[in-house]
Parts: sequence; structure tokens; C-alpha cells
Amino acid sequence: MSVWALALRNVRRNRRRSLLTAGIVVFGFAAFALAGGFVSQTFEGLKDGTIRGGVGHLQVARPETFAGAEERTLEHGIADVGRVEAVLRRDSAVAAVLPRIDFVGLLSNGNRSVPYLGVGFDPSDEARAMETRTLVVSGRWFSSPSEIAVVLGTGLARAVGAKAGDTVTVFGTTPEGVLNAIDATVAGLAELPVKELNDRYLATTIPAASKLLDVGGTVSKLVVMLKPGARAEDAAPRLRAALSGAGLPLAVKTWRELALFYNQVRILYAGIFGFMGAVLVIVVLLACANTMTMAAAERTREIGTLRAIGTPPAKVRAMFVAEGLILALAGCVAGAALALLVRSGLNASHIMLPPPPGASHGTPIHVAFYPLTYLAGLVAMLATLAAASYFPARRASRVPIVEALAHV
Amino acid sequence: MSAPPILRGEGLTKTYRLGEQRVEALAGLDIAFGAGEFTVLEGPSGSGKTTLLNVLGLLDRPDSGTLALDGEDAGALDERARARVRLERFGFVFQTFNLVPVLSARENVEYPMALAGRGRAEREARARALLAGVGIAEKEDVRPDLLSGGQRQRVAIARALANEPEIVFADEPTANLDSHTAGDILDLMRRLNEDRGVAFLFATHDPRVVERARRVVTLRDGAIVARR
Repeated sequence: MSVWALALRNVRRNRRRSLLTAGIVVFGFAAFALAGGFVSQTFEGLKDGTIRGGVGHLQVARPETFAGAEERTLEHGIADVGRVEAVLRRDSAVAAVLPRIDFVGLLSNGNRSVPYLGVGFDPSDEARAMETRTLVVSGRWFSSPSEIAVVLGTGLARAVGAKAGDTVTVFGTTPEGVLNAIDATVAGLAELPVKELNDRYLATTIPAASKLLDVGGTVSKLVVMLKPGARAEDAAPRLRAALSGAGLPLAVKTWRELALFYNQVRILYAGIFGFMGAVLVIVVLLACANTMTMAAAERTREIGTLRAIGTPPAKVRAMFVAEGLILALAGCVAGAALALLVRSGLNASHIMLPPPPGASHGTPIHVAFYPLTYLAGLVAMLATLAAASYFPARRASRVPIVEALAHV
Repeated sequence: MSAPPILRGEGLTKTYRLGEQRVEALAGLDIAFGAGEFTVLEGPSGSGKTTLLNVLGLLDRPDSGTLALDGEDAGALDERARARVRLERFGFVFQTFNLVPVLSARENVEYPMALAGRGRAEREARARALLAGVGIAEKEDVRPDLLSGGQRQRVAIARALANEPEIVFADEPTANLDSHTAGDILDLMRRLNEDRGVAFLFATHDPRVVERARRVVTLRDGAIVARR
């Protein structure tokens, strides 16, 4: 008669109590799996949004640019873009290389001027690799890579009173510090997820930005998109080595190093859900410890008998822990079924969630199925029930045998 | 020349606290117990017979005095070693039968053999033989709650014999049985003693048990007052 067989019999012996304990595990596991799925989905969405929202998998620029030490526009720009692009494209993991010009200035409708954060890019490449184009909510995307036009964040457009089709004046400063301006058509308005960016966002083509800043062929940085499955952390050192080997003193940073917002939100969410998870585990632990303590107390004389006829205390403890593990396993199986059912219901409900920190609009609730969260839930519940069973069993197995045998 | 005793206690004392009172259950007594004996510890309630049985059965430790097992100090054994001795060399029969309720009659008998590491086939065959030996072969698959008191005690005796013990300790084995069943159980134990050479040590004040004993040790207030 193995410990497991005996434990299973004891689990079935008091069905109501076992069902109650397993029920606690069912709800604990389901809550863990659902919360884990929701958080993981949130992180994935945030990661994807960060990369495809403009940051890319990697960025290549001069170290001074990353350090924010630029006092004049394109002071530390990359002049030999073609050569750098060629080196980057030689890496098999690279899917696209997108040159960017970053600049700042004022946007004016003739009556009012508002500061903006500008970016110049190739709209065709950008539309293929990034999701910026999908953010256009009014008007259109650029009609050609050389169009002298702008796409504005809706917040910036509102501030300056511009709408799609209007003509606005874009002011900028050349590397020499000279104020320059161009007239550009507002091709469209984009709704960016981060409010602060939405209120300052101005996108244009590289020729338009070059004309405004009076530069030719110089860019601020190159954004690198990787092929599916490639990891930025693996590609970065390879690209650094390749650039260094080609005599190009450029720095390479991964999206994780650049996405401060992502990292902050991740820490915030991890803290919140970590705390909730800990509370959940403690509630399950206390509830199950209570029922296991009752079970051990009721079987004091039986434990005394088992020990009298030669069962070592360790085996008595193992028997109780096995009971806890059986209940945890059964509860997790039922909890997984419940979690999948609730997940289907939530995903079909299209409930809109409020915007996350810093975002301008909410998203419909979506709970992903991540096997890892189910596995983590199983491990957490097994450990919790093992602990909840072990301590009452240890106490029961330490009662002197003659005292246990006399227990009524 | 008689064989050396398996158990020898010298100067055994044991005191319990009962509220504010101190009860001297064993008052420095000496006793020896050998192979093949059929001995009864008798005396009124509180005389110390169950305490002595528990100390000799390694279920409890004396406050002072020495207990030797095969001439070696049993007090030096740790809990694991004491459990091993109880499993392999001793058997226990309790007043309230104390069978494991989730196991059938046969599984109850098999349990000590499984603990001792015996194989399944051997366990099953021996458990069946033991149940047949105590006269309840047909009840092997029945759980204890569906057995009568006498049947439960027979299962308990079969369990006590599972690992071929040298000594079976029986604490008031007839107290919860009717007169007829008690007689049958005692006859069975006596037969096992005679046929198999298993030693029995009883703690009881049941005269039917005393009548069948070959040696009777009478206790009063924790001391031996008569041996016959």
C-alpha cells in the first residue's frame, strides 16, 4: 500500500471536506491563470506596440545621440547612411532598416504656433514595418516617399486647429542654428496611444525633413526591424561587431534599453499582480491549512496507531503531504477548465478596459492562453498545498504515541 | 538453563501530571520478559499495567531506569530505530482495535508487511493465510466499519502477526467484546502462542484473560505486588 494509494483513500474518505479544499484550489488556480494570461497579454501587447509603434527592435546611432548630448539639430547625425545600411542588411536576422531624422520646432497655422517633436522617415518602409500608418484616423498616409506633407498627432492638430487637407507652416532649425520653415500639407491625423506624444507628434518624409533642416543624406539614427523569431538581445552584439569591423563608430541599443515607458509599466504591473498573487497564495494557504489541520486532528489516534505499528514519522508526514498534492492536482485540473471557460467568456464579451498609464485610449479585454502561467499556477498550488499539509502533519506526527492512542 | 529475556526492565519509573496532581504510574519496578511467554499484567485501573506495557513495547520511554532489548540499552535507540523494532519484532493489539478505516481487512494486515518492504504477492498470500488462521478469510475485502467487534479484533491480531513478531503486546484486548467472542479471541491467542511460539504480553483486569495466562504479574500503584 503506497503512500499515494493511502492518501487517495483518505481524500475520498471525507468527500465534503476534500471538495471544499479542492474548491479553494480551483478558484485560486483559475484566478492565477486568468490574471497571468491577462498580464502576459498586456506585456506582449505593450512590447509589440513599443516595437511597432516606432522604436523598432534595435536602433543604431552615434553614442552622443543616445546620450542626449545633441545641442544642434543633427549635430551627431550619421552621414554615410548607405554604408551603414549595407553593413546592417548583411545580418541574416535583419528584416528592414529604417533611417530616421529626429527634430523639434514649431508648427503654425499662421495665427498660432505650437511646439512639436518631429520625425522624418520613408513612409513606404514605415508603413510596411511599423503600425504608424494604422493609427491614421482622419485623412490619409503619405502618397509618395518624397511628398512635402505631414501627419500630425490628433492632440497637436487640435492645438494648432489643423485638419486633414490644410496647409501648415513647419518651423525648424538647421544644424548651423538658422531658423527655417516650409509649408506642408496635412495629409492625415494619427491617434497615438501615448497622450503626451499624441499632443506633440509630427511625421514627415525624409526629403521634407531634409529640406526643412537643410541637410542632405544625414539622418539621426537607423531603426532596425528583425525577422520573426529573431531576438534583439542576440542580434545587437552581432551588429555592434559588424559595425565596428567596418570602421563605423556607432552604438546599437535594443528596444528594451530604449523603451523606458514599457519598462516602467512592466514594473508597475508586475508589482500590482505580484502582490495580488501573493495575497491569493496566502488565502489559499490559510484556508487549506485550516482544513488539513482539522483532518490531522481528527485522525490523531489513527496516526498514533500507524506509528505504534512501526510507521516512521516521516512517512506519516508524507501521507498528509500526498493528500495535499492530490487535492492540489485535482483542483488545478478543474481550475484550468474553469479558467479556459471564463477566458472564452471574457474574450467574447468585448468589454473595454480603461487606458493604461500614459495611454490615450483603452483596449478591449483579452486574456491570452499562456501555458507557462498555467504551469506556474500548478507549481504555486502544489507548493501551497504541500506547505498547508506538511505543518499540521508534522505537529500530529510529533504527538507522543501513547498520547495519540488515548486521543478521543 | 532458560533462554535470556528479550526485554529486561530495571528500576523503571514513570510519572504523569494529572492537573495539579502527580501520578506515579511506575514506581521503580523490575521485570523481564522472554520468548514464548503468555503473560498477563493485571491490576486495578491506575495500577500502571498499560504504562508498563507501553514502555516494554517501546511506545513510551521511562522517566528513569533501564530497559534492555536483547541485552542492549533500548533507551539509546532513536525514534526511527524504535519504529523499526516495533515493526519487525513486535505486534500490537489494542482495546479499540485501531484498524485503519480506509483499508480492507486484508490491506490492514498487509500494511505492516508493506512497511517492512515485502513484495505484493508475498504480502497478499500471507495476509490471506493470517486471516484464514484467525477465522475470517471470507471478510478479507471488507472494511473495518462493516465488521463486528470480534471480527475487527481478529483482523487486529492478524495484523499484529504480519511480520512474524517475537512478542505481541495486547492492551485490554477483550474489553470491547462480548463474553463469547472474548473467549474465542483468547483461545485463538493461546493457540497462536502454542503453535507458533509467539509471546503474548497482556495488560488487563479481565479474569478470563488471567485464567488462561501461564504467568501473572500483579501491579498496584506502579509496583509489582505479586508474581505467580
